[in-house]
Amino acid sequence: MRAPAYANFTVNAFQTRLAYRNAVWAGAFGDLVFMFARIAIWVSVYGAASGATVEGFSLPDMITYALLAGPVLYWDFSRLVNEVGNAVQTGDVAVYLLKPLHYPAYLLASHIGHFLFELLLIVLPIAVIVCLTYGLVPPVSPFHGLAFLAFWLLSFAMLFTLATLAGLLAFWLMTVFALEWFLMSIMTLLSGGLVPLWLFPDWLAAIAGHLPFAWVSYYPAAVYLGKLDPGQTLLYFAIGCVWLLALLTALGWLWAQARHRLIVQGG
Amino acid sequence: MNRTLRLIPHLIAIFVRTKFEYPGAMLLAWFSQATSYGAMYTAIALIVTRFGMLGGWTWSEMALLLSFHLLAYSTGASFSFTQFRVMEDMVRLGTMDAVLVKPISPWTYLVFSGLNIGYTGHIILAVGLMAWSVTQIDLAWSLPVALFFLATLVSGALVVCALMTMIGATALVWVRSRHLYSIFFGFWELARYPITIFPVPIQLMLITIVPLGFISTVPVAVLLGKPVPLLGDWAGLACLLAGPIMVLIAMLHWRWCLRNYQGAGG
Repeated sequence: MRAPAYANFTVNAFQTRLAYRNAVWAGAFGDLVFMFARIAIWVSVYGAASGATVEGFSLPDMITYALLAGPVLYWDFSRLVNEVGNAVQTGDVAVYLLKPLHYPAYLLASHIGHFLFELLLIVLPIAVIVCLTYGLVPPVSPFHGLAFLAFWLLSFAMLFTLATLAGLLAFWLMTVFALEWFLMSIMTLLSGGLVPLWLFPDWLAAIAGHLPFAWVSYYPAAVYLGKLDPGQTLLYFAIGCVWLLALLTALGWLWAQARHRLIVQGG
Repeated sequence: MNRTLRLIPHLIAIFVRTKFEYPGAMLLAWFSQATSYGAMYTAIALIVTRFGMLGGWTWSEMALLLSFHLLAYSTGASFSFTQFRVMEDMVRLGTMDAVLVKPISPWTYLVFSGLNIGYTGHIILAVGLMAWSVTQIDLAWSLPVALFFLATLVSGALVVCALMTMIGATALVWVRSRHLYSIFFGFWELARYPITIFPVPIQLMLITIVPLGFISTVPVAVLLGKPVPLLGDWAGLACLLAGPIMVLIAMLHWRWCLRNYQGAGG
């Protein structure tokens, strides 16, 4: 199957989500409430803090960080993990193997559609509401703004690869429930989605800052806010690309192994 | 009534046996969920310890709040969440009709034939964190305080179970209602933190239309002698009444939805 044909899966996923309008507004409202919870935490601790900035970051910086590191960068990967898990459990994955397509590429195309849907219809309205109620800060410089876009692409690819790796393990474990929760726990703490790494103890920040999870939320948001100078930005982008390459290699190897040990559970 | 009560242990036993058929997956699920909550609590601990307090609450007090929240939620949800989450599928596929013709109350059948022991990991973590936190805070224990603690925990679990039931029951009329859980979990997240850190409209929602404030933040604030906005001295009584009142509302909603159920499956 030629690469342009996969774009149809992206469009199809987007259109499928459009069909469930109630899920859209309920999801957007739920995420907005989540967002206000995160903002309330920073408003509270900054209100009680003695200075206007903590580690060089003001309250508007932290609100912007909460939005970027949360809804913008940390998309709902549960859908992807569960899709792979269900395909393995029901045996539907065999149907994909019979088709002239590459299953991980199909997943990528399809989840780009889900990502774009959530970005346009859930994340963007939330960003507008947060901007109007609390205010957001612009990128610290045009360089950092452009670098953020590059880190955003890297972030999507990193989270997609991590989630697909977790999903493919269902070929061996026959369940993705625990894998999804394990990945969620790692991401909660080590991606910087909730707490930026500069608030971690030094030893934990040093470890978390060199694991691939930090490229999902922490580094893109930190670059946007100017935590990294141009030299560091380029260096950490290169390190992130190396991590992504390593994870993609692992994904390719795992997929090759998985195809040869398929046990269809459904009928 | 007696026949129903005799049937309940059998319904639970059948479901539990199905779960024990895959003990490895079950234990892994308990562990993974406890790990996930542990990671979230570690992240909150990082913020609270870095800044000293969150809304005037120390980390020990926050630990009690988080453990109370998790215990009330997991207890209430074990009787309701997974059971009522699939309600819209049952309505759509027509399998709800089979439940309605069984010689037992549909609610009793749904709840106890799916009593979710998957929350064991939550409960172990919550009890452990709670045990640690009560040794770290200066809480003057007495019989009334202990009874209030237990009663509000039960009341909080009832609030969770009632809300889950109402969301599930809504599928009988709307066919789809699973999306409403997104709203539930949005407010559920808020209930993890001291209610005073939120703007007044959100505080008001947490004690009225989505009364999840009563599953954790309000009762723990009362126990710790912290001020509760809007409710003031009535907060303790409100915590005790929230569960029973929500159960009554959920019963009325459930019955109304059953009366208006027309089926959607073929």
